[in-house]
Amino acid sequence: MLEPGLSPADSICISLQGVGVTYGTQRGPVEAIADISLDIGEGEFVALLGPTGCGKSTLLRVIGDLRAPTVGRVGVRAQPAYVARHQNQFGFVFQEPALLPWRSALKNVQLPLEVVDYPPEKRAERCLELLGRVGLLSFKDNLPHELSGGMKQRVAIVRALAWDPPILLMDEPFSALDELTRNQLQDDLLELWAQDKKTIVFVTHNISEAVYLADRIAVMSARPGRISCILQVDLPRPRAPEMRQDRDFLNHVVQAQEALRS
Amino acid sequence: MREATALSTPEERGWERILPPAIFLAVILLVWETAVRLFEMPAWLLPAPTRIFQRFLISNTLPYHTGLTLMEALTGFSLAAILGITISAGIVHSKFLERGVFPYIIVSNAIPIIAIIPLLTIWFGYGFLPKILIAAIISFFPIVTNTTRGLKSADPRIMDFVHSINATRWEVFSKVQFPSALPYIFAAFKIAASLSLVGAVVAEFYGADRGLGFLVITSATQLQTDLLFVSITVLALLGVSLFAIFGKLEKAFSRGEVEVERPR
Repeated sequence: MLEPGLSPADSICISLQGVGVTYGTQRGPVEAIADISLDIGEGEFVALLGPTGCGKSTLLRVIGDLRAPTVGRVGVRAQPAYVARHQNQFGFVFQEPALLPWRSALKNVQLPLEVVDYPPEKRAERCLELLGRVGLLSFKDNLPHELSGGMKQRVAIVRALAWDPPILLMDEPFSALDELTRNQLQDDLLELWAQDKKTIVFVTHNISEAVYLADRIAVMSARPGRISCILQVDLPRPRAPEMRQDRDFLNHVVQAQEALRS
Repeated sequence: MREATALSTPEERGWERILPPAIFLAVILLVWETAVRLFEMPAWLLPAPTRIFQRFLISNTLPYHTGLTLMEALTGFSLAAILGITISAGIVHSKFLERGVFPYIIVSNAIPIIAIIPLLTIWFGYGFLPKILIAAIISFFPIVTNTTRGLKSADPRIMDFVHSINATRWEVFSKVQFPSALPYIFAAFKIAASLSLVGAVVAEFYGADRGLGFLVITSATQLQTDLLFVSITVLALLGVSLFAIFGKLEKAFSRGEVEVERPR
């Protein structure tokens, strides 16, 4: 994935320059996000942290070309975002699993492979491999309503990885889960990321989640949504559940809290 | 009925559902039969159930008329289904088409169907065609409105996902929108199939020499009230069967999902 001779920090994957989104409403235009500039490196894990309604989901949709910015430029690997989308470079995961209720877990993972020109004879094998990696092999034939919330979200994650896109865009993927499940899925995600080294943009309003997962945290303020500061997370990898009690970890959490407050 | 399904076990469900209406039917028939015999009702006014049943057994043209009406109704219904689903698919993919076509779909529902029959007869004569067309027109509205609603009911997050991987319109339609709409479509079919039967029969009232509608009219004018009852009963049974078949399909296709609202 990396060009030879470049370290991850050198090679920019996603580049946002002066991005703003303005919605037209009945009471006139409302600025959802404004003046956002951010570079995200190849293979980097960046969290967008902010209060509800600060426009972080809007920003994620702009990166993934699900909507166009009103002003500014979004570059993905030196190309406009829509080119990247047309090359299927984005894997989206949403807050809700958003699975097709009439398809089994396996067939849900297979959905994108039917769309992105994946060789038909390799589809089933690829889906089984992915389900195996998140421990759902024995649930491959179950319909979504027969799975728990955590299992469904696992299916949604591997669905977004199925065709091996270089970039994963995640919109509060664990916020609807209970804490134990959420912690488990965070570890699962880190493991998947350690194997594949994808670039991940992870939207969350959960501070410790952002600290636990990310290399860098872009802290956002609301109305209009702006990046108020960027925190470097200097915690060693691989991250482990015990680290959640470390002083270093808690320092980062406090730092992020203060950044959110200001 | 839904509550009963949820609360009772499968074995007792069959009995619980069949027994009470069967008892009521038996009681009504019994009272009817006794009243007719007791008060010596003339058969042209109110024939006894046994007499109606005898009439049913000796009527050898009944299958012919029934088959004809059913053919007209189902052909019209199929036409409406094909046309309705196609138009719905167009409507959800084009705002222009939605704005341009929807008002006329509403108007088509507002025109009393009976008023169109003479016109269609002028154009197409006394054969099957006007009957088929009436059956199609009457079942078109519930199909097109419900299918449109169903196609639009697709989960917006799944729509986002398939857009994020550049799915073509056809892929979005065939893999997400259409399957999402299936419970809605079968709910509409359930209503439309019985309506198409009504359409075919009403069309047969106005100039036909065969079919159950023709049988209803002629038996009424000739005061063959027992035959009239036979025709009505057969019509009711056909309607119920169609309703039941599509009800089953609707259930089969809403696998584990939240139940779809009934169309109005």
